[in-house]
Amino acid sequence: MSGVSAPLIHTLSLAMIITSFAAVEARNLRNATIAYLFQALLVTGLLAAYSVQNPALIFWAATALVTKAVLVPWFLWRATAGAEQETKPLINFGVSAVLLLALLATMFKLMHANAGLFIDVTGEFAALAQTNLAVAFTIFVLGIYAILTRRDAIKTVIGLCLLENGVHLSLVSLAPAIKETALAGIATEVVVTVYLLLYIIGGIREKFKTTDTFKLSELHW
Amino acid sequence: MPTEIKSALPALVVIAPAAAAVLIFAIGRFTSWLKEALALAGSACALVASYEIGLAAFRGSALTSFGRQLYADSLSAVLVILISGIGLLSIVYALRYMRHQAAPGEAQHTTTPRRLAVFYGWLMLFLSTMLWACLSNNIIMLYVAVEASTITSGLLVAFYWDKRALEAGYKYLMLLTVGITFALFGCVLVYAAGAHVIGGARGLLLSDLRSVAGGFPVATVVLASAFLIVGFGTKAGLAPFHPWLPDAHAEAPTPVSALLSGVMLKVAIYALVRTVSMFYPGFAPISMFVLALGVFTLVIGDIMALAQDDLKRMLAYSSVSQMGYVLMGFGIGTPLGIYAGLFHLLNHALAKSLLFLATGAVTYSTGLRRISDLGGLAKKMPVTVFCFFAGALAIAGMPPFNGFQSKLALFIAGAHAGVWWAVILGLAGSLITLLVALKAAKSVFWGKPSAAVSAAAVKEAPATMTVVMVILALLCLGIGLYPKAVYRPLNAASAVVQTVTSGQPALEAPCPGALPVEAGTPSAAPPDTSTHVLPRR
Repeated sequence: MSGVSAPLIHTLSLAMIITSFAAVEARNLRNATIAYLFQALLVTGLLAAYSVQNPALIFWAATALVTKAVLVPWFLWRATAGAEQETKPLINFGVSAVLLLALLATMFKLMHANAGLFIDVTGEFAALAQTNLAVAFTIFVLGIYAILTRRDAIKTVIGLCLLENGVHLSLVSLAPAIKETALAGIATEVVVTVYLLLYIIGGIREKFKTTDTFKLSELHW
Repeated sequence: MPTEIKSALPALVVIAPAAAAVLIFAIGRFTSWLKEALALAGSACALVASYEIGLAAFRGSALTSFGRQLYADSLSAVLVILISGIGLLSIVYALRYMRHQAAPGEAQHTTTPRRLAVFYGWLMLFLSTMLWACLSNNIIMLYVAVEASTITSGLLVAFYWDKRALEAGYKYLMLLTVGITFALFGCVLVYAAGAHVIGGARGLLLSDLRSVAGGFPVATVVLASAFLIVGFGTKAGLAPFHPWLPDAHAEAPTPVSALLSGVMLKVAIYALVRTVSMFYPGFAPISMFVLALGVFTLVIGDIMALAQDDLKRMLAYSSVSQMGYVLMGFGIGTPLGIYAGLFHLLNHALAKSLLFLATGAVTYSTGLRRISDLGGLAKKMPVTVFCFFAGALAIAGMPPFNGFQSKLALFIAGAHAGVWWAVILGLAGSLITLLVALKAAKSVFWGKPSAAVSAAAVKEAPATMTVVMVILALLCLGIGLYPKAVYRPLNAASAVVQTVTSGQPALEAPCPGALPVEAGTPSAAPPDTSTHVLPRR
């Protein structure tokens, strides 16, 4: 496999899913931010590991380190100052954990089995690409789950970050030759979106005295 | 394929408003007029460059910049002229409207002169990103530009920074970012499939992908189409992905509402058409799905518009409905259908911008925007009445306004393709739109004045606002009376979409939408009906 360490990739992938789970389930927003930070570091590590196979990914890894592992956690840390406890979510921990585990297992198996829909599964690096896609889609679904079931606005932003990380990770297999300018554009827009969302959530906290999205009821259809 | 010419114009269209934004953020707050002058200069420059692009593109050329990363064919040209034109008019309108809101004692919100620089800065970035999206030839950068237009308009939606604006801003940024992330997946899948056939570098270019998309695996096409429709469809306000739209369009400052409803939705439709239409030739069911989604959207939008008391929310839901009509045209997929979709896209951009600006004039003069709070403004605001009616009749598809021509073309295209169910639902939707618009207009302008209106010294909006509205109203009327004026650019633009459907360049005879007199004559029909994407029923 020309230097790509399959055990390393698999270990990092598993750790990524665990940290994503922790980021969704941690009720303390600062703990969730720390879990997200570890997840982002693992994304960087995975990209760096894949760069042995595709050197162009090292730029992507560096960009991810700056944007996902430094800037976004920093913004989240600032936004959670003085309001560390998450608004109680729609689904409690026990049910959520079971649901998430079932979701993760299903997505992982489904994507692993159907990776051929997206990539050439007969190539030299097919096994690694399959793992990459399975992890990417699993984290994508986990992000959607967080956005749909969490009431706290900041937690929904963490969900959005997971969702984006899932998509970005899939680029390793789906778009390995993508240009640096496009990668930089994708990474930058995520950081700016997160910054603006947290800025608006700061305004919401100031005016509504809460970040509970269920209390945002000024506008009705 | 158009003749490609290297040119600085596409780059200029994107860079001019962006440069104006940078200058506004840097020095705009130092004097009261500088930010406005810079915004006017930036948008005027973009409009002139867009016009020049149009002149070349409608003659069959495609202008490229940055090594084909920016690519302006006739479809892009129509969009950039529309965006920069309505952008310039909105800025002229904003001069008095936003100053009024920032004036001491007049402010209904927390607008301050200092914040106006922020307003114009973001507004110019918003324009620049929309223009960039319509010129991007790189499928990944198309996603980046569309998402950038969400980011740059996020703070404009939340500009008033009150409870309603903040709620709208949060929903807008969150829902659109989630939605558009689906589009990124779709773009990446298209790129991956294309790169497999024509190589990594060319696989990024929309202009090259179109020629090979017909050979993509079916599973890839289905998944990519689903992701693209959900992603760009969310941004375009298509039902059921539309809940963000009424909040954002209603709570944003009126000049921004005009741009959101008038042009931003079209940018998303453009992105959808640019990407999904490349699959039409080999995968006909996709066009049927697009048609069904369009009809569903127009029905939902019309029903929801009926229930609104807030004038701006009513207009916002009406936009949902009208985007359904636009999508219906692209879903029909025939040369006439695509022409009609584009024609209605243009007409709705003009009419809905006009309606939002006329509503802004009412709010400017009365401080109110609920239909039940207003009444009896006809004699006090005659220009606004004329403009509101022009816009309302245009979106309802009534003659002699432009909406009549595009809806007629749309229904003829539908009938010709045999999709009678869509035509009937479209006609019913038009009647509901007419009912909604006339009911609102009657209450606002002829209804009994409320105590708040009677007590206020209501007078017509200032000239800089009414001139803009009159220009838009005259355009609605002019295109309605003489649709041939827009036939050539729209025909060239629809040819870009049609070339992937059948290899047939465009309508060879003026279409029914362009010349209603000929609508029923055999010579006005598309020359070769065998090119229909939809099976004839």
